[in-house]
Amino acid sequence: MTGQSSSVPVLSVRDLTVEFVTRRATLRALDAISFDIARGEVLGVVGESGAGKSVTGSAIIGLIDPPGRIAGGEVVLSGERIDNLPPEAMRRIRGKRIGMIFQDPLTSLNPLYRVGEQLVETIRTHTDLNAADARKRAIALLDEVGISAPERRIDGYPHEFSGGMRQRVVIALALCAEPEFIIADEPTTALDVSVQAQIITLIKRLCSERGTSVMLVTHDMGVIAETADRVAVMYAGRIAEIGPVRDVVKQPLHPYAKGLMGAIPSLEGDAERLVQIPGSMPRLSAIPSGCAFNPRCSRVFARCHVERPELIQVGDRKVACHLYDMPESLRGKAEIAA
Amino acid sequence: MSQSSTQNPGFVQVRDLRRDFDVSKPWLNRVLERAPRQYLKAVDGVSFDIRKGETFALVGESGSGKSTVARMVVGLLPPSGGTVSIAGISMTEQRASQERQRLRRRIQMIFQDPYASLNPRWRVGRIIAEPIRAFDIIQGEADITARVGELLTLVGLHPDDGKKFPHEFSGGQRQRIAIARALASNAEFIVCDEPTSALDVSVQAQILNLMRDLQEKFGLTYLFISHNLAVVRHMATRIGVMYLGRLVEVSEGKQLFFVPRHPYTRMLLDAVPDIAMVGKSREGVKGEIPNPISPPSGCTFHPRCPLVFDRCRIENPPVIDGVACHAVNEGRVAAA
Repeated sequence: MTGQSSSVPVLSVRDLTVEFVTRRATLRALDAISFDIARGEVLGVVGESGAGKSVTGSAIIGLIDPPGRIAGGEVVLSGERIDNLPPEAMRRIRGKRIGMIFQDPLTSLNPLYRVGEQLVETIRTHTDLNAADARKRAIALLDEVGISAPERRIDGYPHEFSGGMRQRVVIALALCAEPEFIIADEPTTALDVSVQAQIITLIKRLCSERGTSVMLVTHDMGVIAETADRVAVMYAGRIAEIGPVRDVVKQPLHPYAKGLMGAIPSLEGDAERLVQIPGSMPRLSAIPSGCAFNPRCSRVFARCHVERPELIQVGDRKVACHLYDMPESLRGKAEIAA
Repeated sequence: MSQSSTQNPGFVQVRDLRRDFDVSKPWLNRVLERAPRQYLKAVDGVSFDIRKGETFALVGESGSGKSTVARMVVGLLPPSGGTVSIAGISMTEQRASQERQRLRRRIQMIFQDPYASLNPRWRVGRIIAEPIRAFDIIQGEADITARVGELLTLVGLHPDDGKKFPHEFSGGQRQRIAIARALASNAEFIVCDEPTSALDVSVQAQILNLMRDLQEKFGLTYLFISHNLAVVRHMATRIGVMYLGRLVEVSEGKQLFFVPRHPYTRMLLDAVPDIAMVGKSREGVKGEIPNPISPPSGCTFHPRCPLVFDRCRIENPPVIDGVACHAVNEGRVAAA
């Protein structure tokens, strides 16, 4: 499912670092993360609150507000570097080439304007269509995202739509300019399960039909498991494990990913007790030295306290854990020695 | 859990519980527009029993009335009709009896948002000691402090944490504090309204495990409200599924997941994104919850139901053998 076309990835992030400067210290929210997203691919980004998922999305579209800043690395969209563009050029890319879907559909729609006005405005900003054609296109888009009677509903205000319908409108807004890449930040978190399933199916269908790539940010592993092609597990501003969704969900390698999967109550299987990871995510001001996960890790050994693990290739995926940087036979011994 | 569940059936008995909310327009609008008063039936005739020592869970989507039921059971909201009795004492009778006062202290509640349910200007020790002082359970400051320390240890915190303020704790730790406060009055029955939905998964697992440990230790009875089916499956002895203010199915714990009987339950189970679903495609779910102010006639689920027939549009199905569905009760569907 990944882009076999061997062409340039739609999005390529290299050593992206985001820092927030405060009076006391400089906090590093993202610490040199790198990943690629191929054409038509859905990359899921999971992690707990504070892992840096949403900051990654904001950094890519250049929406990091001061005191935050991109302190290093680069973001390349279809071969063109975009992280150093002037604000005006970035504004034109936003919405046109990169679409966005946020968690709360009520806050991403203007309550004072009719849905149609918002769609038409967006379409006309990014394309050369005249008002009448833009309206036709808006109706077609609403139809495509599964809103019944779009000719009538287009003149409704956001409050006249239910939560699920609003999120459909937001998706239509994101698709207006036919972007090559969409960032969906917790698109289903505010919705009920039955509606959630509809929205997931919709995002999946639209992306495969149009060949749009998606970065799907969520804390819900279930959503990732069903939607994503590849998944990146984030912890304390770094990627702990990245690889095909099947591998990472079914047989996670990184101890944090393992704990995370075990902690999720499942509808199948019969765990009497859930796996629990002791402690909680460190604050940005107190990230442990070495591997950031080491105080919570059950398989910690001496090297974890000193040296920060880099992502290393293990089969189809990459893992940032010292355990996989040694021959398999030695893994147990290192822990005993520690 | 098992040994105590048989000797005292129906520790909590809820019978035909109703709650209407007045959502009418203001008086002047009503007069000018000749509009009648409007009521929203948030809870419409719900009955269930909770046995001592078990976890009874209520699941449903937003607006299904599960939180309203919880608030009526603890007495935070007076019901419009029906009765709640706990340990044989009526909670809904008009006359405030002394027995009820004594019973109240055995009932506690844990809320969804641990950021809102703890007073930010009180130290944690004072928060936990509040029920002890209010019910005059222990006299003497030294003894109260010792008890608070004991409770903090019980929920996995340090006795010295009592000197801190709530903002110094993470979400999971705050929920532990809320649990400690619930236990402070030696509660037997705890109503948990979405206790983990504001927490991250790894922290959620810690809290769910803690709640189960405490249940085993003290023989607690839980009414557990959640919209997350997987969490409910993990916690519940018995489960009630709610839809638009009505209880559509009551089932023994895991049974609900093996043989869901009501069409709504089936739809709900099919809709849950699950990590076991990697690479599988799902069947589309149709429609959304209708407006509760003007719910559909008959069975409120009929516009979305795949098994709908004429009777469903007219007649509200009674709960028979744990399911409120004409199609199931008439045996028109095989039990999955």
